[in-house]
Amino acid sequence: MRIVTITPERLSTEQVDRVVERLRTVLRDEQILTSKTDRYNRARVPAPFPVHRWAERVPDLAVLPTSTDEVAAVVRIANELRVPIVPRDGGTGLTDGAVPLRGGIVVDVKRMNEIHELDLENRTVTVGTGINMLKLNEQLARHGLIYPDDPASYPCSLVGGRIGTSGWSLIGARYGHTRDLVLSFDHVLPTGEVIHVGDGIGGKISKSSSGYQLKHLFMGHQGTLGIATKATLKLYPQPEAELSPFWAFDNYDDAYRCVGALARAGVATFAGAVLFDEWKVAYLRRDDEAYIPQPADVRALVCAVMYGYEDEVRPAGRRLFRIAKEHGARYLGDEISEGDWAARHDRYATPLHGRTKAGQVVPMSWHCEDAAVSYTRVPAVTKAWHEIVAGLRRRTDVFDDWGMFAYTSADTGVDYLTEIDIGIWEQQLGDEAWELWVQAKRDIAAAALRHGGSISACHGSCREGEVDLVPQELGRGFEVMLDVKRTLDPNNIMNPGKYLLDLAYEPGAATALAALRGGSG
Amino acid sequence: MNRTNGYRYGEQHTPPAPQRVSDVALTTFEHVYEVDPRLMERWVLQQTFPNWDSLRIMNARHDHLDWMHRHFAEKVLTGSELLAEVDAADSSPDS
Amino acid sequence: MTRADPDAGSGGDALTRPFTPGMASNDPGLAELTETVAGRVDIEIVDRETREFVEEWRNASYNCYSSGHKFCREVCPVMQVTRNESWTPTAFHANVVAMERGELDVADVAADYVNCTQCGACELRCPNTLFTGDFYRFRTRTVDVVKAVRALAVDKGVHQPQWQSWNARTDERTHEPVLGEVAVSQDTVRDWAEGLDIPVGGETVLFVDCEAAFYRTSVPRAVAQILQRAGFEFGLMGEQWCCGGPAAEMGYVEQAKRFARHNLDNWRSTGTRRVLVLDPHDYISFTEDYPKYFGDEFDIEIVLVVELLAELLRDGRITPSVPVERTVTYHDPCRLNKRKGIWEEPREILRAIPGLSFTDVDRVTQWSYCSGGGGGLPVEKPDLTAAISARRVDAAATLGVDTLVSACPWSERPLSAAGDARDIDVVDIHELLAESLGITVGGSRGEVGDRRSAGGCGGGSCGGGGGCGS
Repeated sequence: MRIVTITPERLSTEQVDRVVERLRTVLRDEQILTSKTDRYNRARVPAPFPVHRWAERVPDLAVLPTSTDEVAAVVRIANELRVPIVPRDGGTGLTDGAVPLRGGIVVDVKRMNEIHELDLENRTVTVGTGINMLKLNEQLARHGLIYPDDPASYPCSLVGGRIGTSGWSLIGARYGHTRDLVLSFDHVLPTGEVIHVGDGIGGKISKSSSGYQLKHLFMGHQGTLGIATKATLKLYPQPEAELSPFWAFDNYDDAYRCVGALARAGVATFAGAVLFDEWKVAYLRRDDEAYIPQPADVRALVCAVMYGYEDEVRPAGRRLFRIAKEHGARYLGDEISEGDWAARHDRYATPLHGRTKAGQVVPMSWHCEDAAVSYTRVPAVTKAWHEIVAGLRRRTDVFDDWGMFAYTSADTGVDYLTEIDIGIWEQQLGDEAWELWVQAKRDIAAAALRHGGSISACHGSCREGEVDLVPQELGRGFEVMLDVKRTLDPNNIMNPGKYLLDLAYEPGAATALAALRGGSG
Repeated sequence: MNRTNGYRYGEQHTPPAPQRVSDVALTTFEHVYEVDPRLMERWVLQQTFPNWDSLRIMNARHDHLDWMHRHFAEKVLTGSELLAEVDAADSSPDS
Repeated sequence: MTRADPDAGSGGDALTRPFTPGMASNDPGLAELTETVAGRVDIEIVDRETREFVEEWRNASYNCYSSGHKFCREVCPVMQVTRNESWTPTAFHANVVAMERGELDVADVAADYVNCTQCGACELRCPNTLFTGDFYRFRTRTVDVVKAVRALAVDKGVHQPQWQSWNARTDERTHEPVLGEVAVSQDTVRDWAEGLDIPVGGETVLFVDCEAAFYRTSVPRAVAQILQRAGFEFGLMGEQWCCGGPAAEMGYVEQAKRFARHNLDNWRSTGTRRVLVLDPHDYISFTEDYPKYFGDEFDIEIVLVVELLAELLRDGRITPSVPVERTVTYHDPCRLNKRKGIWEEPREILRAIPGLSFTDVDRVTQWSYCSGGGGGLPVEKPDLTAAISARRVDAAATLGVDTLVSACPWSERPLSAAGDARDIDVVDIHELLAESLGITVGGSRGEVGDRRSAGGCGGGSCGGGGGCGS
């Protein structure tokens, strides 16, 4: 069921020329990119992408600004000419915030990657949002400091994209997630005005109760409310010691009980725990040297990770080892524990994990469907999601089940980033398979909502399919989103077509929303 | 000259005899696992892979993982030591 | 609540239970599930060469495209200085997919593919290589894809003007025109060895690449004299042509193969069984390109000099004893560290040189370092090469060193220029080792090197009066 149908009106060549002409008044020629390759290579991200309909997602041009002022000038021109803007940072997102749906201008912030100020006394660094975390931490290491925002795209995603998606961090249970680590930032509104966003006055303040708390509003909007250009980040001492034990179980239920107990233990250096289900272990036996040789009764895994001073981590580690032992865990050994953990900072799947049901290797694109699910609901969501993917595989080899992880989001074990990894064979992807996929995404989102979960813990929920359920998830809050969008972006130029926000400008929105809320799931 | 580390085409294209480790995987060099080649006969064919390349990748992987550990923390604590301490405490008479 | 289900194991088809595809024990019911979904419609590519190109590289490119993770990006030397996503390894693969879909053709993409030094960082850093390349015997092939696109461009008459001219002059002179207007030729290719009394031909020959033979002649002089000191027998090639590697890198494939054939035939004609290589670029040509051209016929042993010297050192056949008072760091040449995994031997040599204060940067950090001197980049885009070199030297400058040591003559010209601006000498590891063996090297260290040596040796002893543009 498709409730909102968009017929994108694209700019004519003359209109594009006029836009370029205006942009030349605020940017150098080499900052304005109009060639086909420039545009085709700013059309997609790792989110599910209908390769066969690539051309529909190609922007009209891209710009490479180097400062907040340049970004603001570009946005003002776009607002005046009513041309869509699509903010693009790393373009590594697993949702499609950075994919242009209506053409327009891609504002690519990668050149804004300088370190503006390192404040050792207040433990902050102020950076351009085009900087990558690993590269930043290479610089900070000289001062014994670290910015611990650690997604699976750690070596390639950028601070600005982390803000735009309100990212989730693997070690967030210890250090917080992007929303906790970013203190404040400069932000260009859809009208081209520049605001400084943070708690209260922003700057180097971590907690204020002055005024509305706008920081959350301007994080995770998937580029629909503007562009963050310069951010002040919270820094920590680089940890002295790391411990990352991996344990095996002969059944899922024991592993599940164990991960819950580890997370609830309240160990201060606890940075996270991960539960691997039986499908994930079967999947790892395809090609992971750590798991291929494991005996058949290794069916589920749990890992935990701790960071801190050695004299903190050692006793904490003993405590967690004891809990694991009480839950029937078998320690997988130092080599696997250390090797596997180190590989989780850049754990994007590789296409050759893909298999036909008969076992032939095929290149598949990795799609991580995630939800935020409270601990007690994780098993039910896990079961429901595997059934959905089995339904896809029953019909075709275009889709593959790569198993599930559940990661702690918080230091108390309240909720888990619950993900199912699905392979999609893009070389075979046509309209029929794409429609199957979009429906599966609706079903996956509906299952999460049914169990009291949120559609996404980390990626965002604006992809085709799942987005139809967002009004249901947020309830009246979704209408508040529409009001905010209309107020801040009166001409709907900022990343139009995302998150059903076009409804903010349509008189029939109420009917459409009622249909979405009544008919989905 | 009795050196052995020069490049020779014949040597590079003669991998060690594979040992089976599962229905879908083999081992060749120490620490190098490989897919059973029968799984790459239809849609994706394997590339020509001289020995040096397999070893280069395997070694680089280990170096990279070590680097990642150092990047995040000064030292890595060894789980087996902590487990031994826990086990020892459990088996001691006062436990 | 847990997931334990009393009915688990009973009921449900094969897809309701986890399995590893390809295992003998899998449910036979899997085989009964037939494909019910129509695949996509492929685009017909009319141009034959483009079609063949796409067929050859589509899986390699989908292996990048379908991952989309871009771990290559922050290690790519071009990307790091341009921050332009059109010039990233990811884009280079995505373009191939777009060509397969009929969205782009070679004329649309050719100019973008100039922006690559073929350093191999992207390939190695890619999880498809680093984590699974050896497992599948299928890894990321950005360098090959870049070369193939450049070759297709040449094939279709889409030339980059400087490359076309460079390769035409190389073809004419049998050597790369590394001295610009000053001619290079067969008559002068052995001039660097003047006074060293090296025979021609023999079982083992030393191959000297164009940059070293004509421009930074101190490098081959250092190598030759160290080998002589160790009593290691070798000759020079009878009629040495350019290895052909640069032509292959820029897409002039026929020329590259012709040069390779000449060199192989020439080795045969002098009874040569072993070739010593001092330049990493040649080492790639001889261990990757030549084997592809000649297959089993290629029975020449290829020995990298820096590895040989480390072995001579270990065996006690050379012993550095003259202190070299320099504070140095080492630049891992891309073609050794990233593309070949050779990084230990140069460090072994540096640690054996007395007097040196050596601040090392590990090999993994250096995956993101490059001089910008490779892949024909300085021929077509010298400013970009200079920017990459400047970035590399800036990294060295933060260590407080006075000298950056390299092991690649092609890196040394752009690095020297960048180093000059920061008062950092760029020295070749062979030059440094020779100096520590008390050898007066002679030859030229290039324009910048000679000037800095003449002006008081820029913070280090200059290893003999001969190093001043003689």
